[in-house]
Order: sequence, then structure tokens, then C-alpha cells
Amino acid sequence: MSILNIQNASKTYGSGHTQVTALKTTQFSAEKGELIAVIGPSGSGKSTFLTIAGGLQNPTNGSVLINGQEVTKLGERKRSMIRLKEVGFILQASNLVPYLSVDNQFRLLDKVKKGNMNQQEKAQLLKQLGIENLTKKYPADLSGGEKQRVAIAKALYTNPSLILADEPTASLDSNRAFEVIKMLAQETKEKNKATIMVTHDNRLTKYCDKVYTIVDGGLSLVSDNLQIRP
Amino acid sequence: MFLAWNEMKSAKLRFLLIIGVLTLMTYLVFLLSGLANGLAEMNREAVDQWKADAIVLTDESDMNLSQSSMTLHEAQRISAEHKAEIAQILAVARKSGTKIKESVAITGIHKDQFLMPNVSEGRSFRGDHEVIADDSLKADGLKLGDRLTISSSEQKLVIVGFTKKAKFNAAPVLYTTIATVQKIKYGKTDTSDKGIINGVVIRDPYFTKIKVPSSFKLTPIEPFIEHMPGYTPQKISLDFMIYFLFVIVSVTIGIFLYVLTIQKVSIFGVMKAQGISSLFLIRSVIAQTFLLALFGVCAGFILTAVTGAFLPSAVPIQLDIPALIGYGAIFIFVAALGSLFSVQTIVKIDPVQAIGG
Repeated sequence: MSILNIQNASKTYGSGHTQVTALKTTQFSAEKGELIAVIGPSGSGKSTFLTIAGGLQNPTNGSVLINGQEVTKLGERKRSMIRLKEVGFILQASNLVPYLSVDNQFRLLDKVKKGNMNQQEKAQLLKQLGIENLTKKYPADLSGGEKQRVAIAKALYTNPSLILADEPTASLDSNRAFEVIKMLAQETKEKNKATIMVTHDNRLTKYCDKVYTIVDGGLSLVSDNLQIRP
Repeated sequence: MFLAWNEMKSAKLRFLLIIGVLTLMTYLVFLLSGLANGLAEMNREAVDQWKADAIVLTDESDMNLSQSSMTLHEAQRISAEHKAEIAQILAVARKSGTKIKESVAITGIHKDQFLMPNVSEGRSFRGDHEVIADDSLKADGLKLGDRLTISSSEQKLVIVGFTKKAKFNAAPVLYTTIATVQKIKYGKTDTSDKGIINGVVIRDPYFTKIKVPSSFKLTPIEPFIEHMPGYTPQKISLDFMIYFLFVIVSVTIGIFLYVLTIQKVSIFGVMKAQGISSLFLIRSVIAQTFLLALFGVCAGFILTAVTGAFLPSAVPIQLDIPALIGYGAIFIFVAALGSLFSVQTIVKIDPVQAIGG
């Protein structure tokens, strides 16, 4: 079973003459253990794709299944629960709560959801990301890169089956960016997750199993490393 | 509670200011309630001391004791087991040889009936012209043995004792014999059947069974107090101010939290995108209001207690702790009600917009 399955989904805004197609009719699936990159310029429909994939909004037509559950048929409350349980977002705008220390960011997730990482896994995660000494700090005291890494840790902490990342390496230097991607790839493989990241950084695609481009709302597969590899 | 508390810790100044406003409002509510209480007490404390259940006055008097008059014969015919005859005249008493003047309610009673007050200082009146005075008069410079000249009367009175809590419609009471009151009122005493008094006070929980002639009216004690000149308008005005303050509190904290919520729309949006429910966020806003109001009420309470300890006795503020606790609880409740303004905003936040989708 695919972790994410998008069938005949399209998204249009407005109607009649002013109708805008943000996402053309799309077929897409992400399997366990796949790290997928979606590359496109800004305004291409990347964000629309990501929000539909994550069950944040419904497509105009078609359906979206996350781990077999058809989220397009659910109300906001149920979708919200599925997002909490199944999806980890790494957002471009830092998704940290400004008045919580790094440690409390994780405690907040413990308050709203069970089945998060245990202390040992969490310590290992923070170490991998190089943020183990920042736990007492508030987001305002962190650099852009540190914030991004905390955001990544936060997304992984809830053990989601689907990770959706919007420019996860935007504010990281090259070395750190490669490290983060390697870590995401490793996490994806080891724990059988599916990770989709939207990026414009072509250097990162070599770590990805599949690479899509998106132009004017049309999604197309450009390389499938899984098939190239022996 | 987790989000609420951590946010308050990280933005101390902002939340201290809000608590400051709530503290001042609580303080005002508490002082007003104390004032309402104190003013009510000034009107009714003498009547409360009587521990009476009802009073018989003439129908004509419209429940006004000094306007009612009946003969002793009529009074004696009222068939109640525990009853006490009362005569009263409102007058101005002047301490002889000085300019100290005071409006007083000179009240004639029988020593052997239940209206007789407990003497806290000095002794009881033995004959006519001797009075037991309300001890609030001591603050005005009156003491045992002082002679009093009564306005519009040749009669001189002498203070032989003091009693506590004896104000009738804000006037200190001078308890004396019925004959003395008659002397001041009519120039002569008349203790025969035809002698005039003002009314009969009844101590009997089953007073409704007592029959009185049609020209008389049996009034339960509470409406009698409420009918005192000024008592009800005063009480209603102060109560209205207190209730209105509660509305202001609710709206004020509502505005504060609404503005704070608007500021947090994007971060709430991100949290909703992550799957944190609106309910969790709403709960945290209400919890925050609860904490703010609780701190405000506690600080207001301390401030009120300190004020109460230093208040001069001339200020008619009486703090009633159970009433203050009640008002404090209402205060916290209406504050929480105010936070509900923000609920709709939180529910409407669209996570897609919040993350720039």
C-alpha cells in the first residue's frame, strides 16, 4: 500500500473567466522508503501540491489517500487528526512556536500526541542534527540554520509515515544541507517512511529516489533512480 | 495550560500589564462591594440587632417608623407573644456647651422587652432622660456623662451607656424610655392607654398568622429595611456599578486576548497545519485568561485587605470576606467569558494560508 496516493486530483481557484488552475489533473504516489524531490520555480503550484498531499486542503476534483485513509472525504477535525498522526511538516517559514524553548517545542507535541520518539531516540536525533546543546534556547536566539534543524527534528519527532518538506535546506550551508538530506534519506529508508521535499536545489536530487518537476501546475516525472539502479 | 503558562513566562511585561489592569478592576469591585455593604450596614445595623421578624405600623405611614403613630392601647391589643413597643423621633442632639452636633434617632423602648440593647460600656438607663448611645458617637467626641440638648425641645438627655452597632437609617440611635420620647415629641409624657407610640416590633417566625386591625399593617422586617429612605436607591446604584464593572472586565480582557490572538494567527496556523486541534488552542487561550484573572483577583484581594487595615472608621467600607470571594469567583468567570471572543478567530484560521500555500 502506498503511503501517499493522489488520484486524478486537480485544484482550481475561482470560476468562469477568472478561473485559475493551480494544479492540473495529477496522478502521484509515494511508497514506503521513497525520498522524492519535486522541483519547480516559485508560483508553479509546488505549495498547492504540498498542501493537498498533506491533507491541509482538498483538491477540487479527485482524491487523496494517506496510508489508505481517504482524507478528501473527511471533515477538518478528522483531517487534522490524520495530519497529527501521519504527516510531519517541515515548513519554509519556521514552524516553531516563538514562546517555547526548543525542549518545550517537543513537550508540546507530547501533549497533543502519543507515540512520539522516546528520550533515547530524541537525544540521538538532536545529536545527528547538531542541536543537542540548544534545548534551553528560544527560537529568537537561534540562527536561521539552527531553527531549520529544530523544525526538522520536530517533524521527525512524531514518527510520521509521510514527511512533507518545503525547501528543507533553504537556510543551511552546503555541508549541513547534504547532511540533513542524508539524514532524511536514512530516516526514510530505515523507518519505511515516504518523504517528499519541494526544492529548487538540483544538487540534492542525487539522494532522491524519484525526481519530479512541476511547471504551471503540471507534475511530471523526470528521473527514477530506483529503476536506474541495479 | 502548558502553552498559556509558557507564553506568559516568555512575555512577562505584556502579561504583567494585563494583570495590573485586572488587579485595579478587582480592587475597585472589592471596594465598591465593601462600600455597598458598609452603607447598607449603616442603615440597618440597629434593626439587625433587634433580631426581629416583623413590625406593625399604621397603614398610613407607608412603612416609615417615625410617621406611624398608635396608642399604647392599640399596641397592647396586637396578639403576638414576643412583641416590643417602640417610639422614635429623629432629632439633632448637641453636646451641651459645645458645638458638637449630631443627627440621632431617639428611640423609646421598654427595658424588659427584647429591643433592649446590650450595654457595652457604662450602664443601662434607669429612668427618664437617660440614654444608651450608639458607640459611633464616641468618635465624634461624646463620652459617658455628657449632657445633650435636643433640637426643638427643652429636654436635656444624659449619656449613661454605650452600645455597639446601633445605627438606624444612618443615624446613631439613643435608646431611652418611651416616656422620654413622648416628652420630646409632645412636650409631656403619657403612659396611659391613650399614650402615643410609633409601632410594635414582633419576634416570631410565624408572624403571618398574627391578625392586626385594618388600619395597621404587618410588615416583614426585610421590606421594612428596604423601605428606609435612600436604602434601596443606594443599594441599587452600587450594585449596578458592580455589575457594570463585571461587563467592563469581560470586554476588556476580551479585547486584550483578541489582540493577542490576532498577533498569533500565523503561529496558530502552523500549529493547526501540524494537526494540533482548534480545541487545544482554544483551551489554552481560556486557560491563559483564567490564570490572568486569578493573579489579578489575588493581587486585588491583597490590595483590598491592606486598604481595609488602614481605613479610617469614618469611611463606611465594610469588607465581607465571603462576599469578596464570591465576587472574585464571578470576576474570574466573566473574564473567561471575555476570552470567548477569540474562539471564532481561532476556529477560522486557515492553516493553508498560515504556511503560505
